[in-house]
Amino acid sequence: MDISVGLSTEKDPVSAAIEATKLASIKIHEEKISLAIVFSSIDLSYPKLLKTITISLERPVPIVGCSGAAIISNQGVFKHGVVVMLLSFSKDVYFKSACVKNIKTKTALKAGIELGDSLLYGFKNAHRLLSLIFSDGLIDEGSNLIAGLQGRLGKSFPLVGASAADDMRFLKTYLYFNQELLKDSAIGILWGGKLNFGLGIKHGWKPLGKPRTVTKSRGNIVYEIDGAAAIKIYEEYLNRNPAELKKDLRRISVLYPIGIYIPGEEEYLLRNILSMEDNGSLRCQGNVNEGSSVRLMIGTRESCLNATRAAVNEAKKRLLDANIGFKKRQGMKNFVLVLESASRYILLRREINKELEIIKKGLGEDTPIIGLCTYGEQAPLRAISYQGQAYFHNQTIAILTIGG
Amino acid sequence: MYNLAYLVSIFGVIGLFIIFFLAWMLIRKIDKMKKLQMTVNKLKKALEEMDEQAKLIVRTDMELNKIQEELDKKIIGLYALQKISRAISTTLQENQIFKRIEVDYLQDLGFEKACGFLWSDKENKFIPHLNVGYLIDEIEMISSQIDLDKKLYLNLIKSEKTISSISKLPGAGLGDKINHIFMVKFFVISPILPREGNQGFFFVGTENTDVVLTEGDEELITILSNQIGQVLENARLFEKTWLAHNELEEKVEERTRQVTMALEEVKNVSKRKSDFISSVSHELRTPLTSIKGYAAILLEEKLGSLPQAVKERLAKINRHSDELVQMVNGLLDIARIESGKMTMKIEERDLKDIIDSASDLILIQCKNKDIKLASDIQKDLPRVLADRIQAERIFINLLGNAVKFTPEKGQITIRARKKDDAVQVDIQDTGVGIPPDALPRIFDEFYRVDNPINEQVKGTGLGLSLVRHIIEAHKGKIWVDSKPGKGSTFSFTLPVE
Repeated sequence: MDISVGLSTEKDPVSAAIEATKLASIKIHEEKISLAIVFSSIDLSYPKLLKTITISLERPVPIVGCSGAAIISNQGVFKHGVVVMLLSFSKDVYFKSACVKNIKTKTALKAGIELGDSLLYGFKNAHRLLSLIFSDGLIDEGSNLIAGLQGRLGKSFPLVGASAADDMRFLKTYLYFNQELLKDSAIGILWGGKLNFGLGIKHGWKPLGKPRTVTKSRGNIVYEIDGAAAIKIYEEYLNRNPAELKKDLRRISVLYPIGIYIPGEEEYLLRNILSMEDNGSLRCQGNVNEGSSVRLMIGTRESCLNATRAAVNEAKKRLLDANIGFKKRQGMKNFVLVLESASRYILLRREINKELEIIKKGLGEDTPIIGLCTYGEQAPLRAISYQGQAYFHNQTIAILTIGG
Repeated sequence: MYNLAYLVSIFGVIGLFIIFFLAWMLIRKIDKMKKLQMTVNKLKKALEEMDEQAKLIVRTDMELNKIQEELDKKIIGLYALQKISRAISTTLQENQIFKRIEVDYLQDLGFEKACGFLWSDKENKFIPHLNVGYLIDEIEMISSQIDLDKKLYLNLIKSEKTISSISKLPGAGLGDKINHIFMVKFFVISPILPREGNQGFFFVGTENTDVVLTEGDEELITILSNQIGQVLENARLFEKTWLAHNELEEKVEERTRQVTMALEEVKNVSKRKSDFISSVSHELRTPLTSIKGYAAILLEEKLGSLPQAVKERLAKINRHSDELVQMVNGLLDIARIESGKMTMKIEERDLKDIIDSASDLILIQCKNKDIKLASDIQKDLPRVLADRIQAERIFINLLGNAVKFTPEKGQITIRARKKDDAVQVDIQDTGVGIPPDALPRIFDEFYRVDNPINEQVKGTGLGLSLVRHIIEAHKGKIWVDSKPGKGSTFSFTLPVE
């Protein structure tokens, strides 16, 4: 596998696309490029961004990617810019990319099933390995999309994904599929063949206060906790009245999300609150099942960075494990995909580059890195290669290393 | 029977015992349950207490986060402020100042919209100078709204105070009005107060409802508008100085022009003088030649013998005519050199040859007065660039003067040395010397030093002037060093290649 990354912080989509693509294609044979992964800030999300990348590559190359609250490369974490990763796979690696549009009208579950079908259609009878998906960051039912996808790919099939983001205004997010700029859609890649991967996913938030039970919920809406309006949990802990909370809850829940206890898992599954309804129910980013034991969660910069360390170590270990029994071949290379929650970006602020340093230190200074800050991450909780069921996460950093 | 009764009683005792035992067990269980309940209650209380603590922790943490956020915002804001300051303070052109405030910097300060207005006395209205984040027609609309309410903004400038969405505003509903006019949700307006020229105000705002405006924002914007005021003031002062400087320069140019014209005039006059002298001299020479010719014929008595008295008079006429011819020739030479009409063949020449041939000519005069003529010429002296005839004239004139003003048994020394790009020649005598007041005029035409020798010996007063002209035509210099009674040293230079 050949990998190269190019970054540009130019303000105009066309010059940014040219710069990033040219920087990336210096280090790789253009004829051999199999796939381009593209992440950009929302201010560069225009059709001409993708068009210019294709023109700069001088031939149509499959493109997948999305907009993010920030973009990540070896050079740093940038609020504005575009990062392009060009991949050239060996002959014994297979992949298929697909997209599904109009999720809202189709329902997330059905859209997930459709995406699963499209990914599997025509996929050679090769050993299926991993799927990577990106979805619109503003759809409510991220969890159902995954459920639908898992209905086709298998409940325990390794699935890693990210929700697209904008500049924390929650107005619009875009998916990049070949030369199309999509909204209300999801895209995916399915990999197979001689490729290995390792995944680490952690958040570092700790539970606080007594456990409570979700007594009434449906999908991503929590109506009641311990028999009272769900908003009470925030009213009590933060000592704020509902009117104040209605305005600030989205921002507050970034720092203090709700944690769902999953038996047998080390970390809680986190949920950000998108909004508070007038009846005091909470609209979460991701599903919360009725009967779940939930707690208010608290995080610090230190616990965040410790979580990064843990995620890096886990990803590294899993990749090493996967490589056992794999014949070392010439030109075997790794790259790292970082799916970082936009919430962590806000919490870490100026220390965000410390996090990148931890990743580089853990996975090697020269390993190509591409990533983005997302509105949601999808991955198995404990990322054991074939046994973890993927959940829809908030606030995590998912580190995926792919080698071959 | 007995046995039965016995058995019954035994069972009764056992039953009773069991009952007692069970009762005892029950009491113990109840006791244990009570204790457990107490523990549960204790734990419940502890949990509730911990939950209360958790609430305290969350609230404190939230407070800390808020402070941290504020701090981060301030740091980023300060960085942005520093960048803007640097950008605007590196220009001294008023129209460039506002152009340098970039949208990126403002976004770092937390605002995506900004405009700046300066009051114009001439037009009696506010003129927009800065526009960030607005379309052209939007800024025109804002301008017209401001124009309708100019008193409000003028008062704001007068009050020298910053106002914002969070400050106490002078009028009810003013905040909403400003939000409406500028199409924002939050704003800060700060006066721009340069001490020089027109004042104005600086507006920043955001449409983002998530923004929490703080006093810190107000402070930063106040600092920024102060900075803009300062820079405007500097630019205007610079402009003033620049104008004054230009005016001065124009004056200097004008004066220079006048002086140049005057100089030109002087040159013209001088040229006319030379032309005049030249033509007059020519005119004089013709009759002089006749006078001299006729006098010579008469003296030779070819037309008959003359009485002694007539002869003596004729000899006088002849001598005076010679002097006049000499004078006219000298004048002609000077005029020719001045007008550049003198043809000189400037080539590399051996100065020693020239000195030798000039010395030969002067040797007899020296012998007559018993004056010692010495020469001290540097060996391997480089060749000089000179016209042979004119160079000889220099020596003949200077040596002639030396002999003339040196008493008997005196000494004349000729020295020649290389100095820089030239050869310097010194002609030193032990003569009467020149009084200091005469030194500055010694090379002027017709100037003759007032001394007994000059009274006895006639001269034209053109010799040194001619020498000076010849040397200057060779791009050399001449000067004199003299003390009365101690002799004089005439020095001059001739260029070498």
